[in-house]
Amino acid sequence: MFIHNLNYSLKTLLKNKILIFWTFAFPIILGTFFKMAFSNIENSEKLDIIDIAIIENDEFKNSDVFKESFKTLSDESNKDRLFNTKYVDEEKAKEMLKNDEITGYLILEDEPKIIVNTSGINETILNYVVEEIAQSETIMQNIAQKKIQDAISGTIQFNSYDVLYDNIYNEVTNIIKENSEANIEDISNSNLSYTMIEFYTLIAMACLYGGILGMVAINQNLPNMSNNGKRVAMSPTPKYKVVFSSVLASYIIQLIGIALLFVYTIFVLDVDYGTNLSLIILLAVVGCLAGLSLGVAVATIFKANDNFKTGIVISFTMFGCFLSGMMGITMKYIVDKNIPILNKLNPASMITDGFYSLYYYDTLDRYYFNIISLLIFAFVMIGISTISLRRQKYDNI
Amino acid sequence: MIIFKTFLKVLNKCKAPIIMYTVFLIFFGGFNMKTSDNSINFVASKPDILIVNQDKEEGITKNLIEYIENNSNIIDVEDNEEARNDALFYRDVNYIIYIPENFNKDFLENKNPKIDIKSTGDYQSSLAEMMLERYLKVAKIYKDVYSSETELIEKINDTLSKEVKITITSKLDTNKLDKAAFFYNFTNYCILAGCIYVICLILSSFKRENINKRTIISSMNYKEYNRKLLISNSLFAIVLWVFYVLLSFVLVGDIMFTSHGIIYIINSFIFTMCAVTIAFLLGTLIANKNAVNGIVNVIALGSSFLCGAFVPVEMLPDTILKVAHILPSYWFIKTNEEIKTLEILDFETLKPIIMNMGMIVIFSILFVIITNILSSRKRKIS
Repeated sequence: MFIHNLNYSLKTLLKNKILIFWTFAFPIILGTFFKMAFSNIENSEKLDIIDIAIIENDEFKNSDVFKESFKTLSDESNKDRLFNTKYVDEEKAKEMLKNDEITGYLILEDEPKIIVNTSGINETILNYVVEEIAQSETIMQNIAQKKIQDAISGTIQFNSYDVLYDNIYNEVTNIIKENSEANIEDISNSNLSYTMIEFYTLIAMACLYGGILGMVAINQNLPNMSNNGKRVAMSPTPKYKVVFSSVLASYIIQLIGIALLFVYTIFVLDVDYGTNLSLIILLAVVGCLAGLSLGVAVATIFKANDNFKTGIVISFTMFGCFLSGMMGITMKYIVDKNIPILNKLNPASMITDGFYSLYYYDTLDRYYFNIISLLIFAFVMIGISTISLRRQKYDNI
Repeated sequence: MIIFKTFLKVLNKCKAPIIMYTVFLIFFGGFNMKTSDNSINFVASKPDILIVNQDKEEGITKNLIEYIENNSNIIDVEDNEEARNDALFYRDVNYIIYIPENFNKDFLENKNPKIDIKSTGDYQSSLAEMMLERYLKVAKIYKDVYSSETELIEKINDTLSKEVKITITSKLDTNKLDKAAFFYNFTNYCILAGCIYVICLILSSFKRENINKRTIISSMNYKEYNRKLLISNSLFAIVLWVFYVLLSFVLVGDIMFTSHGIIYIINSFIFTMCAVTIAFLLGTLIANKNAVNGIVNVIALGSSFLCGAFVPVEMLPDTILKVAHILPSYWFIKTNEEIKTLEILDFETLKPIIMNMGMIVIFSILFVIITNILSSRKRKIS
């Protein structure tokens, strides 16, 4: 009887086209949209080469510091290249700025002046670089002044002023050259792609949407939901067999759906889940269980029609995914930071956070915390369902 | 009148999704509209930096922290590595600076202490790195020259405070126009989803076999019937549009009263009408009520993602944008983005915008023609 009912539950569930659309096709379609929209975000946030112009007047031609600095910074073979510089006259620069061909232009008069269209990051960087060059002039002046003072006060011995000038000039350039490297080391993790969170919430959504399968399967066995359910309830088969086989059927279908989604996201959408395959599968399996138990609980607790129950599962899922960052990645962080308890109770967030910790962290504490939370969630839901399914009696239906 | 009454009855049943789309709009619209000072003067972008100081706050360490504080937004998170890593991943901070123990002492003793950093790798973090590097370089250079700590710090500050004069040419209030563009880009989703959902549901209710048969044998002319249905649906769309326009007055503010604002409103009206024609086309295609929800999501979400309603257009890959040309939403959003950059409104500058609107109108006409062909074929078959 168990196999018989399992078999038929599988068939009825798979033939329900709308159900299969929402649990199988919709996450894949949504994932494709995500990929299309988000694939370029992180690249476009990286520093691009900035188009600028410099007014080629006499002051500029005479200023070695500015000339040399911009030459190096605009050099195509320089790996730290910042600018694409055009040397033009003022009229041309104004026109280019108006047509948005350049971020801004630099004009050297008594002191350097920058003209830009708006405030922004590229403008700030241009400003920064010019400031730095101007400051390096000050630095040279300051050091030279100090050295001359030292010379005059007798700390340094010198024979003639010419020799002194050469000495100081060499010394100053040496000091600057020796100290041109700051001792900084980048120790950040290389897995920093935050758009991955979108795809993790997608998996979370698919896991929880799978609950609709469990819900439909249970509804088929409830006498107050359908004629089919009345017949099942009348039959002499033990209830646990019927319920368990229906739930198992929906779990199998759910796992197939998730497997398809994983294959699609990994091979087509290039989603990075980290390297630990067995733990990824474990999380997906446990996530599906949580979704399934949610669906079963909704099916047994609420005495309402199919649409109402579906509505509850969908709105719960969408709200959970919203809190875990599907509609704006920072939402998860805001909730985690300010109301952590909310995301500790939210299964969508547990799944998302589980994938996140596998991807970003080397340690597994956080991952196991999420797995255990999901299991607790699933068992609470199953417990509630068992209590409300037991010893149901109907005087009339 | 009877058609209109039935229309209202069905409409009343599908208010929940409309409310949901509107809540999304208000939420995301409001969320992304943090006001910042509009400036005619240049305002430097400030990266979000987190400093983890393991040294005593004195001397060079103190001065370095002060310098970073003055030129960035300092972010504070809980004092553990996990919270810091999370903050970095979710871009709450762009750059984390770990000042090692005895930094000040080692620095002055010429040991060249190493500073660890964590960086998101985006342009904000590049800016932060430039800032940190600049400070360290200047400090190192001066340390070789000035032996006294106070003189050293004084010289560093003196040098770093040297600023360059920067002037802004554009006097356009881009900040508020950004808001308006963001709001109207988002309405792309709400208008499309709202119109398609409601109109498809209503059409499918009217097309239910029993009801359809009853209408056919009634004395009402089918042309009149169709016309009334079209008018009621358009009326709904216009009400929805007026509602969103009013909402924009509340959320975006006084810029909506300027001529820029009026172009936004006209643009959204043309798009709403186009959405009605799309909805009619889909309504004739779909017979199954249950399928409506799926189709709404695929079409409204799809064109919103592809055309840049959610993600700014400049962040979309070029190939996607090329594909998006075949969708009316692309032209709608393109206009919204172009209005932002217009300083002077005259025929010459408005030309590309009128072209975009023309494209949307052409799309609408195309949809009407296809709908007519399909429905007349269906009538013949039945």
